Amino acid sequence: MIPLSYNVRSLVERRATTAAAVLGIALVVFVLSASLMLVAGVEKTLGGSGEPDRAIVLRKGSDNELSSGIEIGSVPIIAAAPGVRSGEGGGLVVGEIVVVAAMEKLGGAGMSNVLIRGVAESVFRFRPEVRFTRGRAPRPGTDEAAIGARIAGRFRGLEMDRTFELRKNRSATVVGIFEAGGSSFESEVWVDVETIRQAFRREGMVSSARVRLESPAAFEAFEEAVEQDKRLGLEAMREIAYFEKQSEGTATFIRVLGSGISFFFALGAVLGAMITMYAAVAHRQREIGTLRALGFPRGSILLSFLVESALVAVAGGALGSLGALGLGAVRFSMMNFDTWSEVVFSFTPTPQTLATALGVSIAMGLAGGFLPALQAARLRPVQAMRE
Amino acid sequence: MSLAGIAASDLMRRNRLRTALTLGGVAFGVLAFILIQTVISAWEIGVTTAAKDRTVTRHKVTFVMSLPKRYVEEIRRTPGVKQATWSTWFGGKNPLQEREFFMAIGVEPESWLDVYDEVGVAPEERSAWIADRQGALVGDVLAKKFGWKKGDTVKLTSNIFPGEWEYRIHAIYQPLRKSADRSMFVFDWDYLNQSVPERQREQVGWITSRVKTGTDPAALSKALDAKFEENEVQTLSQDEASFQRSFLGMMSAILGAMNVVSLVILGIMALILGNTVAMGVRERLREYAVLRAIGFRSSHVTRLVLGEAAALGAAGGLLGLAIAVPIVGGLGKFLEENMAAYFSVFRLDPGTAGLALAIAVGLGAAAGLIPARGASRLPVVEALRRVA
Amino acid sequence: MSEPIVRLRGVRKTFWRDREPVPVLDGLDLDVPEGSFEALMGPSGSGKTTLLNLIAGLDRPTEGSIEVAGQPIHQLPEGALARWRSETIGFVFQSYNLLPVLTAQQNVELPLLLRRLPRAERRKRAETALRIVGLEDRTQHFPRQLSGGQEQRVTIARAIVNDPKILVADEPTGNLDKGSTKDVLDLLARLNKELGKTILMVTHDPHAAERATIIRKLDKGQLA
Repeated sequence: MIPLSYNVRSLVERRATTAAAVLGIALVVFVLSASLMLVAGVEKTLGGSGEPDRAIVLRKGSDNELSSGIEIGSVPIIAAAPGVRSGEGGGLVVGEIVVVAAMEKLGGAGMSNVLIRGVAESVFRFRPEVRFTRGRAPRPGTDEAAIGARIAGRFRGLEMDRTFELRKNRSATVVGIFEAGGSSFESEVWVDVETIRQAFRREGMVSSARVRLESPAAFEAFEEAVEQDKRLGLEAMREIAYFEKQSEGTATFIRVLGSGISFFFALGAVLGAMITMYAAVAHRQREIGTLRALGFPRGSILLSFLVESALVAVAGGALGSLGALGLGAVRFSMMNFDTWSEVVFSFTPTPQTLATALGVSIAMGLAGGFLPALQAARLRPVQAMRE
Repeated sequence: MSLAGIAASDLMRRNRLRTALTLGGVAFGVLAFILIQTVISAWEIGVTTAAKDRTVTRHKVTFVMSLPKRYVEEIRRTPGVKQATWSTWFGGKNPLQEREFFMAIGVEPESWLDVYDEVGVAPEERSAWIADRQGALVGDVLAKKFGWKKGDTVKLTSNIFPGEWEYRIHAIYQPLRKSADRSMFVFDWDYLNQSVPERQREQVGWITSRVKTGTDPAALSKALDAKFEENEVQTLSQDEASFQRSFLGMMSAILGAMNVVSLVILGIMALILGNTVAMGVRERLREYAVLRAIGFRSSHVTRLVLGEAAALGAAGGLLGLAIAVPIVGGLGKFLEENMAAYFSVFRLDPGTAGLALAIAVGLGAAAGLIPARGASRLPVVEALRRVA
Repeated sequence: MSEPIVRLRGVRKTFWRDREPVPVLDGLDLDVPEGSFEALMGPSGSGKTTLLNLIAGLDRPTEGSIEVAGQPIHQLPEGALARWRSETIGFVFQSYNLLPVLTAQQNVELPLLLRRLPRAERRKRAETALRIVGLEDRTQHFPRQLSGGQEQRVTIARAIVNDPKILVADEPTGNLDKGSTKDVLDLLARLNKELGKTILMVTHDPHAAERATIIRKLDKGQLA
């Protein structure tokens, strides 16, 4: 085996061209990692919004809360269905109204939609993961609002103690900012359900009803009971499945786009690595000839150059991954096309995104290094005698 | 024999493999750049080709909420409005292929065809569609995708309106302008209005007006919004380009990210070019010194290096373009036929092609700058002594 | 005297340049007795280096047979030939061919990596070889920190570290000044006398050739 230090020192010796190859691979890995991290962020935000022991009930045929509508009279029937965990005064249930409002984005980015959820006071018992970082919960029957931590400061008026217009001549004041475990609820505005009902004229209706189940296994019985009564026209879903469906499209979209772009970039970077490695082989013909003269077999020359280009690739992969990790603080807001409102995502690194980035970079190094390494291995030992 | 000739023969003869690899790298870069830019412009097509003489009025809060139908009459009476029509978003799905997204809207057929004059329908199909309250007008691409023919009875479900809805396809339209969405499903709003519960009746999604020649759409938009300012439901009117842009605004983060990403590919191209030129220069220092010794000036050497670098960029750019044209063509045909809801027009814009080529040449020259300086500044005697 | 350590019979070597055959060696016979120190001389292009390459197993003859240290090498497959070289031949090159990124010690140790030797043993042998060439105080230097003569002595240390029977040297003093030339030639002569290495040296320099026990002249592919 030709020692590794030979490769490392040779790379350092030709630092300019090594740096060019490393940077090329780093840029590809950066783009790939960023898109994978965004996919992970989308899945965590939307996927993390559901809990296994919760179910959501919508009007049959509507696949999201925004287009759904349920008679308010159905809510107690839902709460009484089998499998629903009981709370004070009946089953643990929340009926909520969901609307979207166009608001002005700060920073001159135009208008965008924000999801406004009309909630009852019981919501904070229903969703114990909600935690106020500032202020307090809105009081029932008032025009007070709580906003998710992720949209705070992104829209005009969505800041602590500021007011914004729910609709004309109907403003609401922000009295609290809450976190909800990184879920998409952190991109919502919560106002008392009665206030929303009046402001948006949703008399007698809610958008959805959510229940806490006795256990995740209780869902089947609950679903059967709720969907049995055809007159109600309801459809029950596990909350996790509901959000997963929303993240599916966006995640696939980013994944396809990101990996497609990375593929073409990778072709370029592989050629760049190939240029560097061919130059390394050309530059070191005499060294290679000498190694062969000394008795090193072809295989160990091939291996040595493959290792060398893998080193370049790993350096590039590490640099690119590091750069992508730097995106951790960046918030990326995107449309959730199921609710027509903006959800704020973060770039979330996971062991998988890192492993993929590293694996792809090594693959790029080997792809770029293989032909030059083959050429090196084919050099004849008489090269050592040439001047 | 000229300096350019020397540069060209250096590229062709000295290290053909390296030249080929560099050209390949630049070509892939150009291809990736063109693909990204084409995706972006395909999304922006709604803005760039929006009709200049149309205004869209929607609920002030959100387009998901509806407007009272009587607003249509009021808008039609407003001076400067040639014709107004309305549409209601149906949220339609083909129950047999639930995942395929397309735009299904309920409209008033006659006025809608007047306003949306990019939709081309044969006269007899047009009258057949207008005559049947349960009739449907379908884009050619959508019809092909679902295998629908004129005379078929089809069923849709909706994620907004409960139940199954039955339609008879009477007409299939062709686009008269390239901006036309070829995957719409258009039916009579009356059918919808009659079937929904009492309290949802006489509601429309958005109202589109055609403006008379000489009227400023922006001014008209303001006038329309002012008209409804005191009503219970206020409106937001925008010219069609702004209306489209507000949809794009939702994707602005992705568009921004893609623009950043297309800068990254330029970085990769610059690295490849710079690396190649630097290597070539390092190997040739003695030759440059010989040129200097026989009387060429250092500016000649600079030009020689820069010219070579730019030529390399240009050749790579042309190669990339040559690959991009058939790829974008093939991909575009596929996307326009299968994913028309997302990419109604996916074509290579000559401007994008020109930009990509210019960038390749520019990057080549820029990548040559540092090596060129090094080569031209090296003292002749030292370069002659140095073993390349 | 015993069997010759190098035996060439009817060796022909033809190169192809622009599709034209260029005969370099033309039916050459040669016997080199074991333990001799031979100098090969001749004008440029006479085939000296080609001959040396063939004997060292770096290249193959177009025709003819080559037997070195009892092994017919003209028919050895590539991998076996490489192993044979590492065991039988020590190389001394005109421009040293040390790996610039490795220290003197690492360069000398390089051939030992082809054997299953413990790390400490490799180190010890490399140090011994460097001591023999008188460079025990330069072990951690990189080639570019050494003078030409020192570099060549490191090369010689690398050549003997595997204890080969034969040393081949192609213009070993070609790049050296007078003083270093003498040092290197003294060293080679010592290795020949004290360790019994057979040495084949190609050289232009008549003074260098005088140090050899046998001088052979090659001209137009034939031994004079």
